[in-house]
Amino acid sequence: MLEHLLGALGLLASWKLMGVIAICSVYGLFVGAVPGLTATMAAALLVPFTFFMDPLPSLVAIVTMSAMAIFAGDIPAALVRIPGTPSSAAYTDDSYELTKQGKGELVLGVDLVTSAIGGLMGAVILMSAAPLLAEVALKFTSFEYFWLAALGLSATVMIASAAPIKAGLALLVGLFFSMVGVDITLGYPRFTFGVTEFLNGVDFIPAMIGLFGVSEVLRNMASASLRLPIAPVRAARIFHGLAATLWRYKVNMVRSGLIGTFIGVLPGAGADVAAWIAYAVSRRFSKEPELYGKGAIEPIVDAGTANNSCLAADWVPALVFGIPGDSITAIVIGVLFMKGLRPGPMVFEQQPELIYAVYLSFIIANVLMVPFGYLAIKASGTMLKVPRNILMPAILMFCIVGSFAINNSLFDVGLMLAMGILGYFFEANGIPVAPIVLGMVLGPIVEQNFMVSMIKTDWDLFPFFTRPASAILGGLTILTWALPLVPVAARRWRGVGARGTAP
Amino acid sequence: MKISDTLVGAGFVGAGALIVAGTLHYPILDAGHPGPSLFPRIVGTLMAAFGLLVAVQGFRARDVTEAVAWRRLHRSAGFVNALFVLGGVLAYLLLVERLGFLVMGAVVIFVLMWRLEVRPLRALVVAIVFNTLVHFLFAKILRVPLPLGILWW
Repeated sequence: MLEHLLGALGLLASWKLMGVIAICSVYGLFVGAVPGLTATMAAALLVPFTFFMDPLPSLVAIVTMSAMAIFAGDIPAALVRIPGTPSSAAYTDDSYELTKQGKGELVLGVDLVTSAIGGLMGAVILMSAAPLLAEVALKFTSFEYFWLAALGLSATVMIASAAPIKAGLALLVGLFFSMVGVDITLGYPRFTFGVTEFLNGVDFIPAMIGLFGVSEVLRNMASASLRLPIAPVRAARIFHGLAATLWRYKVNMVRSGLIGTFIGVLPGAGADVAAWIAYAVSRRFSKEPELYGKGAIEPIVDAGTANNSCLAADWVPALVFGIPGDSITAIVIGVLFMKGLRPGPMVFEQQPELIYAVYLSFIIANVLMVPFGYLAIKASGTMLKVPRNILMPAILMFCIVGSFAINNSLFDVGLMLAMGILGYFFEANGIPVAPIVLGMVLGPIVEQNFMVSMIKTDWDLFPFFTRPASAILGGLTILTWALPLVPVAARRWRGVGARGTAP
Repeated sequence: MKISDTLVGAGFVGAGALIVAGTLHYPILDAGHPGPSLFPRIVGTLMAAFGLLVAVQGFRARDVTEAVAWRRLHRSAGFVNALFVLGGVLAYLLLVERLGFLVMGAVVIFVLMWRLEVRPLRALVVAIVFNTLVHFLFAKILRVPLPLGILWW
């Protein structure tokens, strides 16, 4: 282990990589702090650049950028009551109420430090869980991979969304896109409509840029003249009284860090979900739940820790099984494939330095977060004033050139536009976009492993349930589908109990 | 662009049906097992089923959204802005190979900024400077063969 760690340090200790880390930190902080630009969109726009980089700096770039963006999303939540990224939405009201009470400095301090602590907790879990799981994963066959992907699909719909039916539709659209092109069993071209470009499938990267970039531009164009009243805060005071507050809620931090990492390790559910769940759990255990939503600092500690710890843990299923933990790691998997690297347990054996470099860059990013984040808070007034009517056309141009750069093809720019319109239309009608990506990544994994299993066993379904690991994963998948029934059952049970004790 | 859930659901029912219909002539594996058609059929069927659920829910909730709010649309600035984006990218697609990135990129950025009420001179300067920077970054540093068109650099 030590030799790999030193090897990874050696890989990271170059001026070029330090430069990548610095640039991506600033990029992530900016994207996170500007409402309407999400971490997923930032990752999609990074992809064309990673196309021209080695695998290692590409991964380091995405790690650093996303860690910074998830923290920076807290800044506009506290200052203008708009979450910078969806991961800060859970505690936006609390943050803004406290800012109105003159406690904005404390909120931002808590945001910053809990983000860093959560991120470090997530990194530790990633470092300890991923190699262990990789050992187990070496024994996995097509049956287990089928269930893992099915678990990811189920979690996307049942856990990661407030509107499961609409999330399900988005997921199905993604699955459909994944089926375009030559099929695995007979090499038969499906849904290509005679277009040569579709024979290799719907290209992932222009689709990503369209769904997360162009659709956001379209949405932001609707409110381009948005003027934000920014609450004034003094960055110099964010560390005042911070230690006492954090010490009071030390148990919360540990609990939410663990919740975040659990959600992260689960395929398909990302940092925004972790924040919402940590918020709900926090209220359940709080001594003053009546303050929640009206300016409580406690849920900010909880959810602020959870979303950053989730971000690192999301890489566990992505690196170990090639199953994305959320939409950002779905993009990471796309990048790895583009580099000719197939994520999975073999990467741990063949390129341990790469894996250790990912761990280390999480630690570096979360340590750097404190000074960089402090500067970002100082510059928040300026960042929030960047005129959208200049920013949006500029982002659109990056989308166009980025989509073109992958295959040097205008067809991809057209694909990007079509996906952008689709994403815009979906969001306007309450259909989440992230499940489309997960469907596109998980679709081939589900189908290939199912077909391979079936052909191996001559269409015998039993091994899906009789192999031990397969049975456990299958059980988890079915459990996920039963999850919405739990509150119903609990209510009924409690109702019966109450009636029983009534006189 | 919000339309009623009933209509959205109906759209998905139609899309699901089309997907299933598209697989009807697919070849099958030996011994009659389904091959390329299996998963698209599952996806199409589920899509139609979920679409039906959304439609029924929308109908039950007496979804008050106008089926499509056409009459208000053309007056909504956001919608017109979105059309400008659409038109900008389409114009780019049609003309970039003839005119080149340096021209078309700047034109698209300029038109959008102008539409978003950036002062014309400022928009022009920002469009040209920013687009040239993008050109330098992608064409010179990353060596992407952006269309050159009438200005070669």
